[in-house]
Amino acid sequence: MTEIALTLVQARLLDGLLAGGAPTVAECAARLGWPAVPLPEGVAGLPVTRFHLGSEFCETLLPTEIQLRQAVAAVGAAGLGVALATPVLSVAGMEALAGLLPHLPPGTEVIANDWGCVGLLRESRPDLVPVAGRLLCKMVKDPRLPSAEWTRLYPHGIHSGPFGAVLARMGVERIEMDAPPFARMEDFRSGRVRVSVHAPYGFSVKGRACRIGSLSAEPGDKFVSGQECRRECLIYVGTLSRGEAGDGDGTDLVTYQRGNTLFYRHSPAMTAAVDAAMAKGWIDRLILNGDWNENRRAH
Amino acid sequence: MKIVAPISRVEEAAPMAAAGAGEIYCGIVPADWTDRFRSAGVNRRAFGNLTRYEDLAEVVDIASGHGATVSLVMNAQHYADEQVDVLLDLAGRFAEMGGHALIVGDIGLLARLGERDLPVRLHASSLLAARNAEAAALLGRLGARRIVLPRDVTLDEIAAMAARRPDLEFEAFVLNDGCVFEEGNCHTIHLPGRLGGPICLDRYATGYSRVDGRALDDAEAKALAANDECHDRWLWYRFGCGFSQTPEGLPFGPCGLCALPDMAAAGLAAVKIAGREGPLERKLASVRMVRATLDRLEATGRADAVAAFAQGLRRRPDLCASGYMCYYREVLDRPAPPPQDRAGDDCVSAAADPTLPRAM
Repeated sequence: MTEIALTLVQARLLDGLLAGGAPTVAECAARLGWPAVPLPEGVAGLPVTRFHLGSEFCETLLPTEIQLRQAVAAVGAAGLGVALATPVLSVAGMEALAGLLPHLPPGTEVIANDWGCVGLLRESRPDLVPVAGRLLCKMVKDPRLPSAEWTRLYPHGIHSGPFGAVLARMGVERIEMDAPPFARMEDFRSGRVRVSVHAPYGFSVKGRACRIGSLSAEPGDKFVSGQECRRECLIYVGTLSRGEAGDGDGTDLVTYQRGNTLFYRHSPAMTAAVDAAMAKGWIDRLILNGDWNENRRAH
Repeated sequence: MKIVAPISRVEEAAPMAAAGAGEIYCGIVPADWTDRFRSAGVNRRAFGNLTRYEDLAEVVDIASGHGATVSLVMNAQHYADEQVDVLLDLAGRFAEMGGHALIVGDIGLLARLGERDLPVRLHASSLLAARNAEAAALLGRLGARRIVLPRDVTLDEIAAMAARRPDLEFEAFVLNDGCVFEEGNCHTIHLPGRLGGPICLDRYATGYSRVDGRALDDAEAKALAANDECHDRWLWYRFGCGFSQTPEGLPFGPCGLCALPDMAAAGLAAVKIAGREGPLERKLASVRMVRATLDRLEATGRADAVAAFAQGLRRRPDLCASGYMCYYREVLDRPAPPPQDRAGDDCVSAAADPTLPRAM
């Protein structure tokens, strides 16, 4: 049985979702304003049993200590699982993370997308459960690829022995993956670690300098590392199109940019591959993108 | 600080070392790899690689004759099991040639190499995206002796990491690499131009929407358009100011020359020039610019004089003043160099140095 987790950048959204106890995916979709997104068969009716709070992509979006403490308490009171999602971290971001960890009860999962986070957990909070996030689990995920042949140029090593050995050495027993373009059911088969898969969106690339986060900055202060922003990514989403270059042969995946990250929406074939891997038991957790996605209705 | 600079052909090794590259890096895609895997994926770049083991050995010999060392890139984002086995053999072969270091982009490969007692150093590639001391420490525990920092770190972050991990060497970008996103978190392919090229250069049109479902008002639409206009301009700078150069052949584009005093003060072991696939003339001009700026630093010890010299090299103060050409834009926040330094003849003479390559 595959469990369902929901990611939330904005912890305040929990209030609405937990009002009636553990929500189903369909109830979350209605509250969060999702249109009909591609999900594997039967998922809409399943209960959401976990909430992953924070951000995989930007340290500016990490919750405050108060937000985290309240969210962990609320999710725990509902009898549901919780995890802290963390991004690639600068020196300052690592300090912020160190301030958040004391608010997590032993056994809480921390999704690490920075090897420094993995190291910090091992050194200072071995009672927490490290998960290798999808930024650490690398594979070719270019939404423009015209054929599956291109993915074979750089075969992914997520399930390779050397990568598995590093994970084992760091005490990591679960990884998070995206469904890559032209995904096959076998892409999700590990045998070494438990596999979570994100749906219905994968990420292709992220930057540190943030385009939308520069909106309010003076020209000379835009697109710079460590810039201050007004969290414009919580207000706007950018739909990306290559016009005829991408749409002509119909192979480009639907693509959008949220904050500093470029995402693609799963195709029906990719959803089918995820569905098949779930049926095989190779994916034991599906992670749905709650609020940092392409959707445009009132949150 | 050593200058780490790229080559793509044997013939480039001697002039690059003679120009001041203390560490030369290169890639190899040997025929037995392509025969077996049907791809060029030994490293991050499909082009600009050596193709024969004999050539790699010759590069090592040539560099050694000039007092330089050679590092071999194994910096693909990820490798499959069978590829790792081949790369371990290649690492042994490179060590036997007298190779100096392996620049490794896959953490599994790094760990596997670290378990071996090879007489070759391991450098953690910028692909491993170490942006904090804890990440550097972990890579060090796996065997890395040097951390190549991603290009999107700040000078304060560089100093903090180097101070926290004195047991490790650090290297930072100084010229030419124009990635817009983080290379270590880029899961795309540099497609052929007809298919769009690198994704950051592809002709995506962006349509903005509010996530609350409301329509953009006029002020928002104007602000978003103005921001995108700046972004387009920034992209132009990031990609070598339209891949242009001075009449003397000095390349424009991402640059950290003004930051060299900070890097030296932080104790950096090396600075990296990117652009393995570029022409030799561009690479040579890049090495000479860095060498000349380091010489100025050694001669004066003054950060403002170095900044004035560096900004005078290409004689385009307008491009420097924009900040969009800077890796480390924070250097522009400092007081302006004294006029006599800013307009110094040395800058002009360095740019006009007859040993520098001419425009192509």
